[in-house]
Amino acid sequence: MRLVFVLTVVAVAAVLAGPSGVWAAEAGASGGWVGPFAVIAAGIGMAIASGLCALGQGRATASAVDAMARQPGAAGRIQTAMIIGLALIESLALYVFVIAAILLFVQPVK
Amino acid sequence: MEAIEHPPLFAIPGVPDHLTYTWLVMVILIVVSAAASRRLQLVPRGLQNFMEIVLEQFLSLLDDVVGHDGRRYLPLIATLGLFILTSNLLGLVPGLVAPTSNINTTAACALIVFFTYHWIGIRKQGLGRYLKHLGGPVWWLAPLMLVVEIFSHLARPLSLALRLFGNMTGGHILLAVIVSLTLGLASWAAAGSLPGVLLGLPGSALLVLFTAGFLLPLKILVAFLQAFIFCMLSMLYIAGAIEEAEHP
Repeated sequence: MRLVFVLTVVAVAAVLAGPSGVWAAEAGASGGWVGPFAVIAAGIGMAIASGLCALGQGRATASAVDAMARQPGAAGRIQTAMIIGLALIESLALYVFVIAAILLFVQPVK
Repeated sequence: MEAIEHPPLFAIPGVPDHLTYTWLVMVILIVVSAAASRRLQLVPRGLQNFMEIVLEQFLSLLDDVVGHDGRRYLPLIATLGLFILTSNLLGLVPGLVAPTSNINTTAACALIVFFTYHWIGIRKQGLGRYLKHLGGPVWWLAPLMLVVEIFSHLARPLSLALRLFGNMTGGHILLAVIVSLTLGLASWAAAGSLPGVLLGLPGSALLVLFTAGFLLPLKILVAFLQAFIFCMLSMLYIAGAIEEAEHP
């Protein structure tokens, strides 16, 4: 808990007082009012996507580990199926990541 | 993206970076394969032994997933897997670019898989039966099933390409952000002010530890895992196209 606190202080201090002026200058130079909202949307969207993806992957992994504990003989095939399932779940979060990257870096709407 | 990514170590003018490094991956793979198969021995040693072990993994996967007919597709699957794995690992070297972190490379691989498994399916069971299979099991569901099947087939190359690209690019952006944060904290500490030294030094040390102890091993794991998943899904699609012929 203390480590988390220290990390938070360090991060906040780095953002507030640290040499992060490069990013601030970049954000200010692009102009327009859509840009900041695109950044906010990218952050919130990625947070929601990765959070729900974590829930889904956690459920999948939990039942896979459960099945492996019950049937150790079939562990290999269960693991393969689990990895494929995890990849398919993860690709949904990656779609949001691609959209977030487009919002941040390509910026189709200024 | 160029704002936070490190510029590549060497670049050929007029050629996109991912293409340059695709050529580099090709050179690496060709040189290693040539060196491994130059003097083939019945009892393999050294590099030949290593490459045989790697290819036997692909063979056993093909036997497991596709079945008795699977060994015909070893060239396609093993080439894709080795190329993607080498590209992914190339991106971990600072100053080099992973070709798979550009969507054009991954889309090319995914489109190759897409057309190949359709071609395999059509060749195995003929165009008419392959198209008929898209219609589903019951004739009066065919108009609905056709639309669903077409969309699910179109989503396959899209998700193959985007999964690989997203994993690689996401890892690179994460690494670039962490490294720039570390450099910022270190330069803040180097500026000499008291809070800078007190917060910047342990902060940058923590970030370096985090990167070396957690992020890089995670990225190595992801590099292997994504290559495995790409091959696995390609094999599953090929198996799907084949086994429809056996259970009409």
